[in-house]
Amino acid sequence: MSTPATKSQPVYPELEWDRTGTHHILFVAAEDAALARRLYASPPAGTLTVIHVADPAAGETAWNKDLPPQALHLAAPSLGDGLKLLNDALYVAQMGTRIYLAGPEDAIWQASQMADGYGVGRDEVRHAQIGSKARPVFCVHCRTITRGVHTNLVACSGCDRTLFVRDHFSRRLGAYMGFQIDAEVPGDVPAAEVIYP
Amino acid sequence: MSASMQVEITRIRDLAPGIREFSLSPAGEGSFPVYSGGSHIVLSLPLGARPHRNAYSLLGDPNERHTWRIAVRKQEDSRGGSRWLHEQAREGMKLDIAPPMNLFPLVRTGRRHILVAGGIGVTPILSQARELARIGADFEVHYAYRGPEFGVFSDELEALAPGRVHHYVQSRREQIEFRSLLSGRPLGTHFYICGPAGMVAASMEAGHTLGWPESHLHSEQFLAPAGGEAFDVKLAKSDKQFTVPSELSLLEAIEQQGVDAPYLCRGGACGQCELEVLEASGELLHHDLYLSAAERASGRKIMTCVSRLKGGCLTLNL
Repeated sequence: MSTPATKSQPVYPELEWDRTGTHHILFVAAEDAALARRLYASPPAGTLTVIHVADPAAGETAWNKDLPPQALHLAAPSLGDGLKLLNDALYVAQMGTRIYLAGPEDAIWQASQMADGYGVGRDEVRHAQIGSKARPVFCVHCRTITRGVHTNLVACSGCDRTLFVRDHFSRRLGAYMGFQIDAEVPGDVPAAEVIYP
Repeated sequence: MSASMQVEITRIRDLAPGIREFSLSPAGEGSFPVYSGGSHIVLSLPLGARPHRNAYSLLGDPNERHTWRIAVRKQEDSRGGSRWLHEQAREGMKLDIAPPMNLFPLVRTGRRHILVAGGIGVTPILSQARELARIGADFEVHYAYRGPEFGVFSDELEALAPGRVHHYVQSRREQIEFRSLLSGRPLGTHFYICGPAGMVAASMEAGHTLGWPESHLHSEQFLAPAGGEAFDVKLAKSDKQFTVPSELSLLEAIEQQGVDAPYLCRGGACGQCELEVLEASGELLHHDLYLSAAERASGRKIMTCVSRLKGGCLTLNL
């Protein structure tokens, strides 16, 4: 794992169970069979709730088979449904709970904001980027977040300005900063490249 | 180090055997700054040639600009600070203080707050409770003391949190069961404790067992610098060599040499007075609450306000 040049850009250490916790909530929004096998092979003590965002048509995946015996698996057909299930789980959760968020950055940072709302500290949440590398991009001009951005330049879904996607990340907003590429020379917009597959 | 301000003792109240409350006001014109719940000040007390400095938590309303209050328990085995306040201090006297510092702040993003006070450890809890009451936070207080006459701030607490103050009177064999106090608490709960070392340790152990992370467990203890055996000190950069007598702390002895050493709380809590140990012929006696086990084992650091050397000579990078 390389250290990013921009300090705010998140670095995701390998996801491990925090065995000092007594309850565990795993929120997953992408497939990663190797990660699922590794986590499920040595589950932590205590309760484990798995909130799994996946297309119901996907059927059996590594996240819903070979579950640890104590695990409760909750399937969500969409990210929105998954976040609702997470909200319900956090609402009744007790101190001692550890939260694991694995998925594309858009999903895990929306989930992280939800945990922040419950007063959860940074030592209680772990993040892992799996699946798509697409970025959520915050427009510094109109404050709209454009989601699922694969390219270095993107049209803002709020104000239609062409935004350059920076590595500068806000944990509070759960998005990368985007600013107008042609602010100084209007119309001077280079071709966009896919760099967040 | 810290800029000092002068205050006048405007009122002394005896609250219980061995517990006195002091009201302090600015000595001249002007008013005090506001502070945050859990803050303390450091009083300079005129005991002998060099001032003797003790930290005391502010227990009143953090927004009160004219009068600050502290409460002092007389420590029979102290080196004289609390005894001076109990026996020599009079209304109208002026003292120098270091302005408020907070090593025990509230976490405002918390959803619920559990405050625990043991004996005179109630003082920072009082200002925290006031701040929580003011912002309308969800909190409860657990107040333990030796006997009914020592629950000196019960009424103030009850007024701040009616029905949410729980009393534990040691003489009635009531004590806080930390395992049950901390179990089943909702996510986002914060725990704060100030009290005797054994009580703090028991609560932290219960928290860890129940899976509470460090970021939600908050404690404050101040240590009185224990005297001890005399030992020799060399200050490498200042080029001084002297003996720390048994009745002075290392920090006080350095100050007596006219050398400006870092400090803040003077109670082993804040970490500000850390100095690099260049050489120690003898055993470092770490009494602070700051250094990690690994840092202690390295033998490279010492907190001068409370720690000493057993025998031999200590060379410091100062």
